[in-house]
Amino acid sequence: MRSWFARAWSGAALVVPVWRMLPWRALGAAGAVGLLPVALARVSGARPGPLETLVLVRGAVLALALGLAFLLDDPARHTTAPVPARRALRVALRAALVAPVAALWWTAVLLLAPGSGRPPVGDVTLEAATACVLAVAAATVALRHFDEPEPGRGVATTLLAGAVLAPLLLPARWALFVAPADPRWAAAHERWAWVLAGAVVVGAAQLREPLVRRPVLRSPCGTSGPSRTC
Amino acid sequence: MTATLMRKPAPAAASTGARDSRAAVSALARFEARRLLLSIPVVLAFALYVAWIVWRTLRPSDDYPVLQDADRATQGGPLLVGLVAMLAANQAALRSLRRDTERHFAVLALTPWRRTAAHVLSVVPLALLTAAAVTAQFTWEALKSGAVGRGSVAELLTGPLLVLLFGAIGVLLARLYPSAVAGPLLVVVFLLLFVGGAFPFGGETGPVWLRPVVTTSGVHPFPSDLLGRPAAWHALYLAGLALTAALLAVLVSGGRTRSVRAGLVGVSVLAVLAGVVQTGGVPAATEAARTRASLTPEKDQTCLRRGPSHYCAFPEWTPLVDDWARVAGRVQALAGGSAHERPLLVRQRLEARYGLSGDAALEPATRPDQVTVGTSWGGNRVPEFSMAVAGVLVAGNERRAGELCDGRMVTLMWLSLAWQPDPESVLRNVRLDDSLTGSAVVLSRTEPLTMTAGQTEVVRGLFHRPFQDVAARVKTHWSELTAPGVTTDRAGRLLGVHEEVGLDRCAG
Repeated sequence: MRSWFARAWSGAALVVPVWRMLPWRALGAAGAVGLLPVALARVSGARPGPLETLVLVRGAVLALALGLAFLLDDPARHTTAPVPARRALRVALRAALVAPVAALWWTAVLLLAPGSGRPPVGDVTLEAATACVLAVAAATVALRHFDEPEPGRGVATTLLAGAVLAPLLLPARWALFVAPADPRWAAAHERWAWVLAGAVVVGAAQLREPLVRRPVLRSPCGTSGPSRTC
Repeated sequence: MTATLMRKPAPAAASTGARDSRAAVSALARFEARRLLLSIPVVLAFALYVAWIVWRTLRPSDDYPVLQDADRATQGGPLLVGLVAMLAANQAALRSLRRDTERHFAVLALTPWRRTAAHVLSVVPLALLTAAAVTAQFTWEALKSGAVGRGSVAELLTGPLLVLLFGAIGVLLARLYPSAVAGPLLVVVFLLLFVGGAFPFGGETGPVWLRPVVTTSGVHPFPSDLLGRPAAWHALYLAGLALTAALLAVLVSGGRTRSVRAGLVGVSVLAVLAGVVQTGGVPAATEAARTRASLTPEKDQTCLRRGPSHYCAFPEWTPLVDDWARVAGRVQALAGGSAHERPLLVRQRLEARYGLSGDAALEPATRPDQVTVGTSWGGNRVPEFSMAVAGVLVAGNERRAGELCDGRMVTLMWLSLAWQPDPESVLRNVRLDDSLTGSAVVLSRTEPLTMTAGQTEVVRGLFHRPFQDVAARVKTHWSELTAPGVTTDRAGRLLGVHEEVGLDRCAG
């Protein structure tokens, strides 16, 4: 009971420093780039059809997801590893702090999308949530498996490559990027839900700080102990 | 010894300094180029690009490429390579910031703007590699035995210039907004603009040419004189933009020398000038030539004689005349009566008045024994042409063939398909809904034909009977089979298919 309280207290104490450390510049740029085309379409009075609106909204989601790829970047990573608050708590705190902002941004995108061509709100929200969770999950995987303090660049590149290649290379029966008028829309969104669930599971499984830190420099001869090979 | 040293004083050292910095820039450019070419995203993108070229060029429907279309078909792939080059060049230019080695570079003789110049130059080998891929793709098309027409160097230059332009933009972006998120976000914006259809201008002429790639993939190829694409101005526009981005990046990094400023003014004027000129629309002379080619093609065409028939084609298509003559000969060999040796006039026609992306159907010819052939060939275009020939042999002219609704349709379809290796699959391909049962619309370069369910059944029945037997019956009963008003049922019985079929469309 006491340790739970201590953990909650240390989490609360972390809120302000973590809030300050969030990559607001990258997130702001990503949010602005995503929102701008939708806003321009609204302001210019152009009446995009359902497909064009969907492309704009998906572009906005991709932009935000690229910003979220930088969420776990921490230049001071190697010095924060030994702090009492675990990595899972710090990552969860970052995600929790950014989630309301992302939700506000998403509401703005949906409100700005022209009403006549607006895609089904629930389904595109599922797509948006999946993209965002996928970005953060990919960042946790990168954090776990690489020693890089700022893995965001690689994660963003991978995410971008996935977003460009998936519509081109996914076979028709696994299609994810379908149009609202397509009969496969419902089935595709079932697949989106599975991807979301998979991303959550994978992301959560990677949250633990590894017990042994990977050596930064490795001697070509192995150790100096009995297993020394040269 | 001292005297020897005294004879070579300071001026030599000054000129060595300038040469040294140039050598250092080129050494850094070579190093960065190698890193760029070997970076994982560039290698993957280039592999994907090469796979796309191979897949595209090996398609059977691409056996008869029209080279004035094949040249601009090389522009889509380099767009992908260019976007990846932009990302990679951007990340390379930001590397020293990311690794915090900017302080170490500050003590070197190489000034920041020279390093920027080296980053811009590092994209050149990738552009050259793209040029090699574009050349290989086009040469492959041009070497195909069925290739016709001629390509344009300006269209082929577009691909490599795209890579150069996007690479330079990547470096410029790194200097304007040094953040790792900027590159991927710009890729998203470009994808929305140039792939997602968010570019505010459409069509074939005017401001749409401000896009980096304007493919307007036409369904029916045009003679190269009628294209009306300002390809040379567009290539100049892209080159001007690429150089503007490159020099702007150098200027932003502190290279404010007089030559850089003068060069920047020069290339931006070039980009604006070419950008404005290319949006001028199709020249009046080209419009007039398009109208003439659509309404009075005989004024532009070359006619050749093969057997009893004449084949008139736009000069670039004359190498295909032998292919047309072979198909027409196969169909005519199966016909009976006077149709067997009737001289035909095969004329190539196209509708060029509505632009490259127009897909208007051609008016059927009313002149007796005139057959229309389009500007594309290979794949489904072959059975479409053989149907036009058979239609003219059976009904007399193209207009009457398009209106056929009785049993003559059976003879027409058998004549046009029976000589092909797998007539049933060809029948499926020429029907609009790819079906083998029921009624369907049959595609044609002029008016489409219509087959009823009964006619489909009889024609398929004929394909399953011995070819020689049916061919003999066609010749024997030719006059009755081609007489207006013959029913499908009667035609089937004459040819040996005793299926119960319903009434014809015009008999009801």
